[in-house]
Amino acid sequence: MKSMANPESVLKKTIELPYTWAMGEPTAKFLEGLRNKKIFGTKCLKCKRVLVPARKFCPRCFVNTKEWIQVSDQGTLRTYTIVYYSYPGQVKPPPYAIGVVDLEGADTGFSHYVGGVDLSDPAKAAGKIRVGSKYRAVWSRKREGNIFDIEYFTLL
Amino acid sequence: MEKTVAVVGTGQTNHGKRFDVSWPELVHEAVERALDETNLTMQDVDAIVCGSMPGMLEGTSDPHFWLTDGIGAYGKPVMRIATCGSTGMSVALTAFYHVASGLFDTVLAVGTEKQYEGSSQGVISQMGDPHLIRPFFPGAVAGFATQCVNYVSKYGLKMENVAEAAAMISVKCHSDALDNPYAHIKAKLTVDDVLKSRVICYPMRLWDCSPTSDGACAVVFASTKVAKEIAEEPAWVKGVGYAGDEQFYGDKDMVDWTACKTAVKRAYDMAGVMNPLKDLDVAELYNPFTYQELLWYELFGFCEKGRGIDVARNGVTTRRGDLPCDPSGGNLCTHPIGATGLIRVAEAANQVMGRAGNHQIPDAETALAHAMGGLMQFNGVMILGR
Amino acid sequence: MTVNEVAVVGFAQTKHRARIRNQSSSDLVYQVTREALDSCSLTAKDIGTLIESSSDYWEGTCCSDVVTMEAAGGYLKEESKVEDDGALAFIYGYLRIRSGLFDTALIVSQTHCSQSPPLPTLSNLSCDPFYQRPIGLEEQAAAALQMTAYMKKYGATEEDVAQVAVKNLGNAVNNPYAHRKVKTDIDRVIKSKVTAYPLRELTSSPTSDGACAVILASGKKAKQITDTPVWIKGIGHSVDDYFLGDRNLMENIGLRSAAKQAYKRASIDNPLKQLDVAEICEPYAHQELLWTEHLGLCGKGQGAKLLREGVTTMNGSLPVNPSGGVLSTNPYVARGLIRIAEASAQLMGKAGKRQVGDAETGLCHSVSGLGGQLHCVVVLGK
Ligand SMILES: [Zn+2]
Repeated sequence: MKSMANPESVLKKTIELPYTWAMGEPTAKFLEGLRNKKIFGTKCLKCKRVLVPARKFCPRCFVNTKEWIQVSDQGTLRTYTIVYYSYPGQVKPPPYAIGVVDLEGADTGFSHYVGGVDLSDPAKAAGKIRVGSKYRAVWSRKREGNIFDIEYFTLL
Repeated sequence: MEKTVAVVGTGQTNHGKRFDVSWPELVHEAVERALDETNLTMQDVDAIVCGSMPGMLEGTSDPHFWLTDGIGAYGKPVMRIATCGSTGMSVALTAFYHVASGLFDTVLAVGTEKQYEGSSQGVISQMGDPHLIRPFFPGAVAGFATQCVNYVSKYGLKMENVAEAAAMISVKCHSDALDNPYAHIKAKLTVDDVLKSRVICYPMRLWDCSPTSDGACAVVFASTKVAKEIAEEPAWVKGVGYAGDEQFYGDKDMVDWTACKTAVKRAYDMAGVMNPLKDLDVAELYNPFTYQELLWYELFGFCEKGRGIDVARNGVTTRRGDLPCDPSGGNLCTHPIGATGLIRVAEAANQVMGRAGNHQIPDAETALAHAMGGLMQFNGVMILGR
Repeated sequence: MTVNEVAVVGFAQTKHRARIRNQSSSDLVYQVTREALDSCSLTAKDIGTLIESSSDYWEGTCCSDVVTMEAAGGYLKEESKVEDDGALAFIYGYLRIRSGLFDTALIVSQTHCSQSPPLPTLSNLSCDPFYQRPIGLEEQAAAALQMTAYMKKYGATEEDVAQVAVKNLGNAVNNPYAHRKVKTDIDRVIKSKVTAYPLRELTSSPTSDGACAVILASGKKAKQITDTPVWIKGIGHSVDDYFLGDRNLMENIGLRSAAKQAYKRASIDNPLKQLDVAEICEPYAHQELLWTEHLGLCGKGQGAKLLREGVTTMNGSLPVNPSGGVLSTNPYVARGLIRIAEASAQLMGKAGKRQVGDAETGLCHSVSGLGGQLHCVVVLGK
């Protein structure tokens, strides 16, 4: 029998489901710290590293972290990117910059937005974000105990 | 088969609703307990096998990347396995093959799920061919309810008799769970309580169904070279078997289930099990729904086809019977899916190692673990012994 | 009983495309399974065990092997599925044969990328929901962070990175299975659209629709099946920290450790000298430079120099990605298995116009996770 069906038939469907994520105590405490404009790490007594964001155990030594340590809201920009493409479910419209900042007092890098730069032209924008330079957190005016209590990091 | 691979220690989380910890922290709890029991550190572990159901269940794709830290896998080989409901067993089998290959001496198997964070049936209903199967597959309960109805009709049984036998299994499991510190749902029930509970999906009632749980399980597999150093009485892997069949229900016999029989035969042949009722001392069967345990009695050769009800009635599979089934309470009481099959292996190994605590079956030497999944497809079996 | 010798005896891949609309994922799996069996004159009955590799998120399904297992001839077989790159499934198949319990194994991997949400959406969802996900980290952005750091640390230029794309997209012209192929030049690459600065369209891989299958056999069986078995000399796989900020992006523990394991098992102490061809997973052009360093083909920061000197080009002493690599073809989780099929083709002398001369020993590499969190290394030999 000759098929009348379109060989390129497709079925389109969007799957959307609600989720409720438990964050665990260290994360809850870390985010509560942000509400008060404080960034906390936890220290592993084995490798002596201060891990930011704070966590329950050191992933390398596999022992619980012991001390809570407040680290600076300033640090050195390790690397960055500027996003110019868009996709479904994206956190915000492009362009925006994301960086990793090595905060003073921490032994790990902290990922967040890099702001305060006109990003409309990639060539011009790239020159204005400087790896190796000092950056500081810009705190949101309205803080709710989540990761967006820091608006972005800006050149000091 | 000869003594080449053994289970030398296990760790389980306190299963249940665990909003007190994040997912990596939950996994960490199980791994830490397994390391404590074996006196090992992550430095002693050569490779890791981990598994969970589709990441959609928790809303995180490829969660092994995030869970890496919780497992302690930094700088080590990691392999993520997923085969639907049988995932936990597939994780155990993968760890077994890692050791059996001769390349790894100590392998950590980790299974987990954190189901309170997502919508289990919403995800599970996205299974199978999207054009022809999904519109008719509203999740596991409905799927296996059809299997139960098929069972009753195929052997000309009376639904009320089957329901009563299933209720006895519910009473047995929920009461056994009281002696299992890690179990999620534990209750003293009567057959009447079960039969009067509300219908979830005909013919399944509330107490016929497993819960959704948050939980993780870690099992350490070891080679002949190191097993005796880690555990005095390791639980040796004696036989393994796995098989899957077609995705369409209509393609297969859902009751006299070929994939199940195939997997069981492979494991029995390898372990030299001729008369399971006699050769096995305890079995941890995968029973998300009470009725299925009746099926397993038949497919595992504990009785003739269509006679599962008799086994439930005569008490053979209770903790005082000849072949206790699911003395842990089974997955009827605890069901973090990606961990469930591995929990069966852990519980079976604990029985052989004499570490099952208050639900220990005296002198258990040979134990069977089983898991199942897919659209009535995958079955996996592992037999452990001294 | 451990089997020490295991060989690749057959393989097949689809003609990968941006969009294959007339075949379902199962259809692709079926096609490569059939062709792989035909390539070594076996039937599905001859296969002892099946290991699949696919992704539920990419497939948009709960438990992808539920659907595809039967398309891979898996009915009642000892099946399993790796929910990650196909090279890991290959390693698992290898372990199963080594156990002595199976003589043959079929490895199948597929992704039908055009059916799914785009890569950034899916890879963003692989991040934890609290830190890396809300700020929009995903695979391309993470790779871009890495490229920025690489250029800064070693003084590599955009031109150096572009040279990788020029080489690989040019090599792909000789590969009938490749998706994106073009003879291009550095100028056109560095003028292509910025995706995530400093990455550009031509220095980032596309996503493709496609599948790949490989058949393995134990030593004795392999010699019965084919005159040109390709032996597995060594394997290694390993993972790095989860948080990007925890890692040294210039010194990937996952790859360093995977390479160390594989080289030790294959008795390789001078990879540049002992290897004849390499298929390296480079979803982002700068990663080929970085991974060649981590694989010990050159010193730290010397990846660009190695390429400039022509060592890794088609006519060099160690051609890297004669197939065109992932920059040309990227059916996501299948890409690692394709590296193995391509290297096997080279060692069997079946690589057609992309054949390199007298290849005796080949290296295959795969990567998954943000910034390259998990790596596999496989060494093959004649
Ligand atoms: Zn530490």
